[in-house]
Amino acid sequence: MHIIVLVKQVPETSDVQMDKETGTMIRSSSSSIINPLDLYALEAALTIKDVKGARVSVITMGPAGAIKVLKEAIAMGCDDAVHLTDRAFAGSDTWATSYILAQAIKKLGLPDLILCGERATDGDTAQVGPAIASWLSLPAVTYTSKIEQIEINSIIAERLIEEGYQKVKVALPALMTVVKEIGIVRLPTLKGKKKAMASSIPQWNAHDIEADPSFIGLKGSPTRVVKIETPKVSRNCTLVHVEDEASMSVAMDSLFAFLNDRDFLQKGGKKHA
Amino acid sequence: MNNIYNPITTDILQQLKDIVGPVNVLTDEERIENYSHDETSKEEYAHMPEVVLTPTNAEQIASIMKIASKHTIPVTPRGAGSGLSGGAIPLFGGIVLSVEKMNKILEIDEANLTVTAEAGIVTNELNEHLKSRGLFFAGYPMSLETCFLGGNIAENAGGGKAVKYGVTGRYILGMEVVTPQGEIVNLGGKITKDVSGYDLKQLYIGSEGTLGLITKATIKLLGKPNVASDLLVPFATAQEAIAVVPLILKQGIVPTSIEFMDRSSTEMACTYLNETLPLDGVGAMLLIELDGTDEATIEREMILVGDLCTEHGAMEVYIAEDATARERIWSVRRNIAEAIKVYSPIQSLEDVVVPIGSIPLVLPFLSELSKKYGVRIPCYGHAGDGNLHATAIKDPEMSMEKWKEIEPALLSELYAFIVGELHGKISGEHGIGLKRKSFLKAVTPDGEYELFKSLKKAFDPQNIMNPGKILV
Repeated sequence: MHIIVLVKQVPETSDVQMDKETGTMIRSSSSSIINPLDLYALEAALTIKDVKGARVSVITMGPAGAIKVLKEAIAMGCDDAVHLTDRAFAGSDTWATSYILAQAIKKLGLPDLILCGERATDGDTAQVGPAIASWLSLPAVTYTSKIEQIEINSIIAERLIEEGYQKVKVALPALMTVVKEIGIVRLPTLKGKKKAMASSIPQWNAHDIEADPSFIGLKGSPTRVVKIETPKVSRNCTLVHVEDEASMSVAMDSLFAFLNDRDFLQKGGKKHA
Repeated sequence: MNNIYNPITTDILQQLKDIVGPVNVLTDEERIENYSHDETSKEEYAHMPEVVLTPTNAEQIASIMKIASKHTIPVTPRGAGSGLSGGAIPLFGGIVLSVEKMNKILEIDEANLTVTAEAGIVTNELNEHLKSRGLFFAGYPMSLETCFLGGNIAENAGGGKAVKYGVTGRYILGMEVVTPQGEIVNLGGKITKDVSGYDLKQLYIGSEGTLGLITKATIKLLGKPNVASDLLVPFATAQEAIAVVPLILKQGIVPTSIEFMDRSSTEMACTYLNETLPLDGVGAMLLIELDGTDEATIEREMILVGDLCTEHGAMEVYIAEDATARERIWSVRRNIAEAIKVYSPIQSLEDVVVPIGSIPLVLPFLSELSKKYGVRIPCYGHAGDGNLHATAIKDPEMSMEKWKEIEPALLSELYAFIVGELHGKISGEHGIGLKRKSFLKAVTPDGEYELFKSLKKAFDPQNIMNPGKILV
């Protein structure tokens, strides 16, 4: 069985600084990590590898530094990796990104299963996974919380949906996006790290994956980020001062009136005596 | 030593209110109850104060001390109350003097690499402010998200990075102290050398608030290392894990930390945090951190240390290189004490420290004690410093009477072994406080103990400054 896991490098969220003027993130200020939700896709793939045996390949698209996340995936137990990197890819939106990743998967050879994280913690769109399935005409299972059974040509899985869980049977090859419930992410090992340090990871550009230049990068992206706004929270704080025991009762009355006026109190409640 | 004190009369209370303002005087029982205990077990050690004061500057504290001195009222200084030896408990009632409102950073001096801050700042906040300047304070007590700088100095807090960086005291260049008589004294400064008279600053570090109250400090900063990696190394037995510790130190690499966690402490912390670590067949784990400025060097050191562990029985060597993964592991380590407390609030969290070469001898002795007294003793701690937090816990089923009989007997036997046989000490970083004072007397030679007493008397002849701590 061949599994491809798609990962993205995102800024370390504990370390993010925002530009106060533009409201955008200062990318250079923080270090990059594997998108935390992609770790669950890696875990799901490696669990299948442990149980059934599989070759797990990992792909990322990103600048030179993105190789770090691929090495980490190998240190966790993945077998090989491909790094998609080209200036022409810069500025790709989810549509263009999914096209680029789909082209890379075609070049690598369509696997039995493609796994993605639920969404990336920076863009938060959750569009790239399903869009790849669309480019490749594969069935897509989103929000996968459990892989129950793997057969030669199909998988039985559980999806986390608003009302509960939905059990689905899907024909392979397929693409699945997974949620945190799928497993507990393993830590990379030193053995794996040594392997990662020794392995050379191929870099593919737009030409290598036979990408149509009008489909990639900022030019090829049908959507634009026009403006990012930080929502303004405006609260008027009302302070009720209590100086001593005597003013307590007055303060309680004013607090009660405040809450009551705004309909925050359960009807039928009694006024403070 | 005197321990007869006067109560706080209405008149004295009014004087205190005049000094700090009425909002900084707490007397109602519900609120001052919070100041009656620290992180030691409440059932065994808590005492209520008569009044809690939350002054906002050193001058107010000096005026309070003058009143306390005049009327012979005991004063107990208090930081965040995260102490583990009962140091902040007002054993004789009186005044609790909390520095919680003195929490400002006063100056960051990049030319001299120092930060000056008030005693009530949360330790972790210092580093949050320093991060963007590429600087850091190397103190890393496990309670860093809640504990205060003043408490760290008063206890000479150790923590998770002492193998490489040493303990709090190493970084304190200067401090402002209010004496028991109400004088404000400035010790040290921004200098790195000082033999001008007795080193009073070092004397205050670790004095547990018994000689005066630290109001602010100037701390030496270091350039923040930009690379750090952790190894999490499981072993089949605790003994194998601990035996590797001296070998790691012999390699010429100075890890930032070498922490030890036995299986039951790790399990309790994982349950508490809803975390899962690979524990199949694992008896104990080492958590080893390496930091520096060059990624390639750290990678080389990781391999060197990891391979050494593998040669000596490690079942696997897990690595955590980014902040998220590192925090995942460290949070397990930091939460052990709290997790054990949730399992059983009645316990004795110990802090013994031995010369590093003797550390493999501690665990077999703990197993013997555990068998002999029928008490579980999970063990974890700063193995690289020879400092272990063996924690004897009262099984929830055991009666309090039985526990009160077992606890002192078990501790006496443990301390006699640690001090007598291994030439260690009964506390490495938590302090003596209330909890260990009788044991300290038992294991300290008379000549040394007399010096302790003379010293206290010289600084605080009325015995009003945190009385009933360290000395019996």
